[in-house]
Amino acid sequence: MPKRKDIKKILIIGSGPIVIGQACEFDYSGSQACKALKEEGYKTVLVNSNPATIMTDPEMADRTYIEPLTVDILAKIIEKEKPDAILPTLGGQTGLNLATFLSKEGILDKYKVEAIGASVEAIARAEDRDLFRQTMREIGIRVPKSGIANTIEEGMKIGTKIGFPLILRPAYTLGGTGGAIAYNKEELRDFLANAIDVSPVGQVLVEQSVLGWKEIEFEVMRDCADNVIIVTSMENVDPMGVHTGDSIVVAPSQTLTTEEYKDFVNLCKKIIRKIDIRGGGTNIQFAQNPDTGEIVIIEINPRLSRSSALASKATGFPIARVATKLAVGLTLPEVTNQITGKTTTFFEPTVDYCVFKICRFTFEKFPEAQTTLNTSMKAVGEAMSIGRNFKEALQKGIRSTEIQRYGLGADGKDISEELQKDLNIIKQKIKKPNDERFFYIRYGFKAGLTVDEIYRLSKIDRWFLNNIKELVEMEEEIRLQATSLKSQAKNKRSSKNLQPETYSLSPELLLKAKKNGFSDVQLAHILKTKEEKIRKLRKKCKIFPVFKPVDTCAGEFHAVQPYYYSTYETKNESISSKNKKVLILGGGPNRIGQGIEFDYCCCHASYALREEGLDSIMINCNPETVSTDYDTSNKLYFEPLTVEDVLNVVNVEKPIGIIVQFGGQTPLTISTALEKEGVKILGTSSDSIDRAEDRKRFRILLNKLNLIQTESDTAISLKEAKEIADRIGYPVVVRPSYVLGGRAMEIVYDDEELGNFMDKAVEASPEKPVLIDKFLEDAIEVDVDAVADGKNCVIAGIMEHIEEAGIHSGDSAMVLPPHTLKDDIIKRIKKNTYALAKELKVKGLLNIQYAVRHNTIYILEVNPRASRTVPLISKATGVPWAKIATKVMLGKTLKELKVDKEIEISHVVVKESVFPFARFPGVDAILGPEMKSTGEVMGIDSTFGLAYAKSQIAAGQILPLKGNVLITVKDEDKRKIVFVAKKLADLGFNLFATKGTAKVLKQNNLDVNIASKLHESRPHIVDLIKDGKLNLIINTPQGKLTKKDETIIRSTAVLHNMPLVTTIAGAQATVNGIETLIKEKESVKALQEYHKRIQKSEVRNQKSEDS
Amino acid sequence: MNDAVLMLKNGSIYKGISAGINGEKIGWVSFYTGIVGYQEVISSPVNAGRILVMTYPLIGNYGTAKKFMESKQAWANGLIIKEESRIDSNWQSEENFKDFLKKNNILCIQDIDTRTLMVELREKGEQFGIISTKDFDKKNLKNKINKLRNKKTYNLSEISVKKITKLKTKQSLSVGILDIGVTNSLINQLKDLKCKITVLPYKTNHNEISKQGLNKLIISDGPEMDKELSLVSNTLKSLIGKIPILGIGAGCHVLAKALGADIKKMHLGHHGLNYPVIKSDSLKGKITEQNHSFGIDEDSLNDKDIKVTWRNLNDNTIEGIENKKLKVTGYQFSLSSPGLGEANSFLKEFVYDIDTR
Repeated sequence: MPKRKDIKKILIIGSGPIVIGQACEFDYSGSQACKALKEEGYKTVLVNSNPATIMTDPEMADRTYIEPLTVDILAKIIEKEKPDAILPTLGGQTGLNLATFLSKEGILDKYKVEAIGASVEAIARAEDRDLFRQTMREIGIRVPKSGIANTIEEGMKIGTKIGFPLILRPAYTLGGTGGAIAYNKEELRDFLANAIDVSPVGQVLVEQSVLGWKEIEFEVMRDCADNVIIVTSMENVDPMGVHTGDSIVVAPSQTLTTEEYKDFVNLCKKIIRKIDIRGGGTNIQFAQNPDTGEIVIIEINPRLSRSSALASKATGFPIARVATKLAVGLTLPEVTNQITGKTTTFFEPTVDYCVFKICRFTFEKFPEAQTTLNTSMKAVGEAMSIGRNFKEALQKGIRSTEIQRYGLGADGKDISEELQKDLNIIKQKIKKPNDERFFYIRYGFKAGLTVDEIYRLSKIDRWFLNNIKELVEMEEEIRLQATSLKSQAKNKRSSKNLQPETYSLSPELLLKAKKNGFSDVQLAHILKTKEEKIRKLRKKCKIFPVFKPVDTCAGEFHAVQPYYYSTYETKNESISSKNKKVLILGGGPNRIGQGIEFDYCCCHASYALREEGLDSIMINCNPETVSTDYDTSNKLYFEPLTVEDVLNVVNVEKPIGIIVQFGGQTPLTISTALEKEGVKILGTSSDSIDRAEDRKRFRILLNKLNLIQTESDTAISLKEAKEIADRIGYPVVVRPSYVLGGRAMEIVYDDEELGNFMDKAVEASPEKPVLIDKFLEDAIEVDVDAVADGKNCVIAGIMEHIEEAGIHSGDSAMVLPPHTLKDDIIKRIKKNTYALAKELKVKGLLNIQYAVRHNTIYILEVNPRASRTVPLISKATGVPWAKIATKVMLGKTLKELKVDKEIEISHVVVKESVFPFARFPGVDAILGPEMKSTGEVMGIDSTFGLAYAKSQIAAGQILPLKGNVLITVKDEDKRKIVFVAKKLADLGFNLFATKGTAKVLKQNNLDVNIASKLHESRPHIVDLIKDGKLNLIINTPQGKLTKKDETIIRSTAVLHNMPLVTTIAGAQATVNGIETLIKEKESVKALQEYHKRIQKSEVRNQKSEDS
Repeated sequence: MNDAVLMLKNGSIYKGISAGINGEKIGWVSFYTGIVGYQEVISSPVNAGRILVMTYPLIGNYGTAKKFMESKQAWANGLIIKEESRIDSNWQSEENFKDFLKKNNILCIQDIDTRTLMVELREKGEQFGIISTKDFDKKNLKNKINKLRNKKTYNLSEISVKKITKLKTKQSLSVGILDIGVTNSLINQLKDLKCKITVLPYKTNHNEISKQGLNKLIISDGPEMDKELSLVSNTLKSLIGKIPILGIGAGCHVLAKALGADIKKMHLGHHGLNYPVIKSDSLKGKITEQNHSFGIDEDSLNDKDIKVTWRNLNDNTIEGIENKKLKVTGYQFSLSSPGLGEANSFLKEFVYDIDTR
């Protein structure tokens, strides 16, 4: 059927900031959708609050709104743009929920907007727990026994009837938020309260537990002609009980019989027809009893999802692109399969490899959090690997997560031999799902446990377990052979004089090891030698990997646009082109401190290379990203980002250079090793990078330029650290060198805290000293991003942090342009930036962090690479800075690129961060020098107040316009808070405060209600929060020690989604925002309009200069 | 572990390790792209005499079980795989893959770069080949392949039933299957469709068939290259128009020949679970299971009453034909169950005369 002509303009909803459960997979899906609609000639309007996305690039849609994702704002956009249709299936749960609410509030009807991709009715059939079960029953599909509860009492009744253990699933929540497993009545009561609370509709499903069953997923698509295809099956290696987003997953399923597989396929077809998706896709999750084959359905997601992104990358079938085309009325037979170029998308992909997905967790950021995995998702990112067998894919997958492991153990990072014998701990770790379970399964085998024993503990299918066992056996085989060859060599050497390395491993066994994914690092560890030696041995034995394509069809058709993975087979299918090529190293799995911002930069690097007529080659292993989309680069290698894996690609492609500036810390950490192997690094030299990173060299650099640094020094022992702290005076900031996202960075106030830190720091980064800086209390932090061509430097943007110094720049709210800095300060900051760029001969991007206190400008950090703020600044200024930097790295000058003027914007942009505190119950929701945020949003408007208010709304802080405000601040802040309190009182808010704070406010003639602390009388503060009596909480931490009370107050506020401000600066900005919102309503404006105005003002500037 | 080798007729050599029995066999080297189904394809008569390259690298994971056999025994002459699973893991498994291979006398080579082999078949076409665990001499192997010329590596009379066999005799709707390699799944579906089933040896003549009191006749799938199939075509010539006939796979070829069309070898056949077919002149289709190396020659379809009903969307080859007047229908794709024990809708249409068009 031809595409629909009654629709001309389509509104696409993005998924907002990166949070746990909703990451860059939706940027990937959304970007594909924008491109697909453009290809078909539709006008597109895009709304997303996340500026770090490719989809919000101004050329992706006709109109781009970086605005908060709320019903109010969307209504305004709809009113302004009058789209014919809305495509809600690309923005994750956020998009679906918004579409549902827009429909419920009559906005879709009012403006005659049709939901395409999935109708509002279809969404309800899939998402509404009750309707879903009913729908499944109608087609005879079993669901676990369950009941819907809207109150705790209802839930208790249902739960008692079904029997324990029980699974709780709140309706309409994301990534299993609020989900829990209850083993007894007491737990059930507690979890019910929370689950009802977090569900936006106050509804929870109390469900029979199918813990330990197999978890099988399918991606299914259907077009308006009723053609249905299965894109792939996926099998969760972790059985039911672990959120699929946290599970290790393989594609395709490995342990289903033909009959079972066909049964599942048939069920999927029935389900998508019954839910009635007419032009789109859905993810379907089943649980299967491993002993009887009994199947129940768990849930379906009638939209693009994390799983659909994984399925796309695993098979080469671009689900989002195809789903979008189906949404506008095309059918599967009409849409071309771009990988083969000849066949259509009406077929079912088949693979000739095994795909492995493994999650990246960030428990180290939240030491108080439990590392146990359950039905509430905790992973912040994931990596995908491909191999010709499970063992190879598994080991590559573990390497890809960049947790400094180089395979499944045997890499020098295992727990001590002593601990490896402690069967009790091992068994526990195997039984209770956790992020290290696979390593413990290996220890279990080494300690003599059998497949059946481990199966009984973990319920992980014996097939997976046996494969792990095979790896353990192979490791032993290698070790044995090495030992025997060594003794043989010793004997022979006496007679023949042979080199011992020749005999460290037979070529046959070496090849076998490589076929099963053993990395050079692992082999080096087992053979007690160096990685380089193994590389040499491989060269000698001519053992190199070949590259095989992901081609959707297992080799049946010739592929014109495949991507590649390495494996040890006989024939290489990745033919290097004759063009000049540049390799871009991506950022690997998302984590806190390294996320979508860097992927954005990598994509832009690729676009820029292609614009310059070079071939761009991407290496990355993150399946969620745009950088691993099949058409982002000329060629894509789905590979781990380790020295070994990157060198393999370099050997085949022979690029003229390699870009390491854009992928965050990952590429930088391996750049020196790559350079040693003769790989040319493009852009700023590694020596310059080292001058900026190495503290001693950095100090010399600053001295040379007469720039000021906070007093600082480096220490390698506690004794040294104490001496330094005494000298420069507490408080001091302490951190290990060479880390990203302020990992393990802390502000310490006395010797005891310093001692505690030093204990941890040694672990955080071995061989690297600890840095100790004077902490600048009450300073304003400033972030500057600039691009330089070795001679000239142009500043892209100067951002003022809203929170005072001491809070990690990744977590701090920022405003562009600076709103309190004097012109003189800005001028000096610019001058310093130019000087540093020149001295370091920066070729590419440069990020500098300054602190300003009493007219003194301190240099905190210089990073000659892409920073987290590059995409934000690009959106604010309308200039693609990462692209420009790439071209500069290729040798163009800024002048040639016509980038020689700095841009002054007349609008205001505020960046705000979002945090995963709600995922980690009991973790304190305060900010500090260690980065904790997972994502960011952008507020853009004509004034600071409006832009800030929008940033808060977009980050999920619902700014109240009236009601009750609780204020409780530390002594130093009591004076400063008076102004804020007065403002709030003037605006009509009722003030509540704890005794101490109340006293100060009363002295300033403010009317205050006393709120009792937790140990005082009830109702206390937590009661007030739980009862919904408060609308805003301003709470600054009590200096050096976090009181238990405060932690409880803050985490309760977070769980109840109550606006919480923990800094005075934040409070001031919030009140400013509230005041603006009361006086004037926010309006919406497309990015393209803002950018047009920038261009006009630029033209004017030039003219006035000319005359 | 023994070494094993595969040599294609064009001289290409693939070395691996023996996973099945030892020995030597010649066969038509074909492939299978499904990620499940190894036991079914090994035991499907259509694969008699073939050496199958499994493109999915991990084989044997879920073991084997008697109930998954498509016929009384294994028919494939050999199997080429990447990695044999060391354990079988499924609650239904009765025997692991290795034992299954041994028990069924199957030669199997593992540790082969099956991807490269598949690409070679794609480029050079399916062809004869030899697998051996005892002779690794290139010249010898080549001679053995060349000597084979048109000799069959199996016997159709072993595949087909020996005598007329009746099943489910109490049912009223009587369906005959002319057996050139019928599968258990076809019989089971017909049972579910409440048919009285009469399985006829392929050599049964038309008089004998007419005497059976059949309402419908199905020509089963089977080995496509068998010379004796022309015999079946001749039998059909006398039956066409007298009884509704359905030809499946090779049965469709036989039927097409009886209708005057020609069959020709495709450059690359269709062997897997993921083939799209499209109803002629529409955008409506189905994903089908296919296993054929030969196809109906488009140019030979001169009879205007024969309509092409379905086409393969990938290469536009004919997948379904029909002569409405004579009530004959043919599908080159398999009419397997879609799962959940349901019958294939095409089979249902034929048996119950449902006209969905």
